[in-house]
Formats: sequence, C-alpha cells, structure tokens
Amino acid sequence: MGGKCPHRNVKKRRYSHKTARRTKFELKGDDMVYAQLNKPDQERPPLPVDEDLPGMGQYYCLHCDRYFANITVRDEHFKTKRHKKRIKQMMGPAPHTQLDADLASGMGMPDNGPKLMSM
Amino acid sequence: MRLEKCWFCSSTIYPGHGIQFVRNDAKIFRFCRSKCHKNFKMKRNPRKVKWTKAYRRVHGKDMTQDSTFEFERKRNRPERYDRNLAENVLKAIPKIDKIRVTREEKHHKNRMKGKKQKLQMEAARELEQGISLVKAPSVLQKDPSLTLPKIKVGVSQQQSEDNHPMEE
Repeated sequence: MGGKCPHRNVKKRRYSHKTARRTKFELKGDDMVYAQLNKPDQERPPLPVDEDLPGMGQYYCLHCDRYFANITVRDEHFKTKRHKKRIKQMMGPAPHTQLDADLASGMGMPDNGPKLMSM
Repeated sequence: MRLEKCWFCSSTIYPGHGIQFVRNDAKIFRFCRSKCHKNFKMKRNPRKVKWTKAYRRVHGKDMTQDSTFEFERKRNRPERYDRNLAENVLKAIPKIDKIRVTREEKHHKNRMKGKKQKLQMEAARELEQGISLVKAPSVLQKDPSLTLPKIKVGVSQQQSEDNHPMEE
C-alpha cells in the first residue's frame, strides 16, 4: 500500500463536471460574440428553431452564449452578476485579432488588390 | 513557406515551428512557442501581458507609425513576375531594413530623453532626505561639506555645436 491508485486520474476528473467543460471548450470566443453584437439589427438572423435546445432555442443570451427554457428564466439571468460583468466586458475595446498582432509586429494593412469585376 | 506572425506575441513563425489552432468557425490562431499557446489557452489578453508586441504598441514603447511598415504586408493578390522589379526589390530590402532600425533607435532615444535629469533630481532629493542617517543634524550645522551648496553661482559654459547631418 501507499502507491498511487491506478484508477483515479486527476486530469480526467478535472473536467468531469458540466460547468468546467462548458467554460473551457464550448463557449463562443470573445471575438465571435463581439462581432455578433456589433452587427446592425437587420443583419442578425432570427434564432433557428431547434428541438434539442431548451425552449426550442428561442430564448438566447448572446453575451453569455446560453439558451433558456422561457422568457422568465432568461430575464432572471439578465440580472445576474456574471451577465453584467460580461456586458461590461463586451462594451470595452475590441478583442485581440491576428490583424492586431500583424500591425504590432511592424506590418502594414493587408493588400487585397483591386476589387474584382462584379459578374 | 509564408512567414506568419504569432497571434499572441507577434513574433515571426518560421516554417516547421510553432503550433496552429483552428477554431470551429475556421478562424486560425498561430503560435510561435508553447509559451504563447499556453497563455492563449489561459485566455490571457495580449494587450495586458507586458512582453508582447501588442502591449508595447498600445503603451507607446515601440514605434507605431512609419512609412517603412507599409513595405511589409500580407498581399492577398499575386503579382505577375517581372525580373527587373524582383531584382530591385531584393536590392531595396536591406536598405529599408537599415532605415527602419535607425528610426526605431531614434524613437527609443526620444523616449529615454529626460531620464538623466530625472535621475539627478532623484539623487539630490535622496541626499537631502537621507543625509541625517550618515551624520547627525547638529554636526551638519558645523560642517556643511557633505550637503549640496544652497547658493547657485552662474557659470559661463561654452557649448559645442551639435548639428549633425541627418542620417537618412
């Protein structure tokens, strides 16, 4: 006795609960959320009906990338501290992109050449 | 065989180096070292990490606006090959690089201007505040040789001309 139990694996256990797995692997990136938020309202597509999601996927929080069962639960979510923190974060400066990295290293803006003829 | 820039630290990624992460919206994140990759996985913001180029750009520690930056860019439209043009470009590359290095050094020198004066002021203040640790205040009344003189005397100095011609 005294050795490590061969069946207990910390690495596997670390992501065994739903919140950790969701936070690390499933949430949308900041730049995707930021791009969606800055689209004008006309260009935002209506939420598709999906039977696999709670509430048929119609009650959605874009900042936090979460679906809710009905409008009451979603409005309760809007009062939470985590959501407010997320809103404040998305109101701030634009997230970092590859273009920012290129400009910081001393490159100019990309050259896309002349606009092609519209067919 | 393109030379890409690291998403996190903006250094150059040569072929055969680094790692690349393709997100499920097809956006590509390239990293030069596992250091940058780990920082990305920890969701750190490159603008807040002090050793990255993005931080240095935001805080004015590197030169940001210069015409030499326009020569190096990602060109998404291929140029038709022209032998004379290619030869001229290959000749121009070291010249442009030299100009850029010179301007960056000038930027650094301008940023460091005023540091000597600041150090002198700090030294004088420290002497004034800390001299009592070396000698008692009553002794200083009798022997003022360790303090700076209170009276300023005008001294005429001959300053040599510093008009060096422009290096570019």
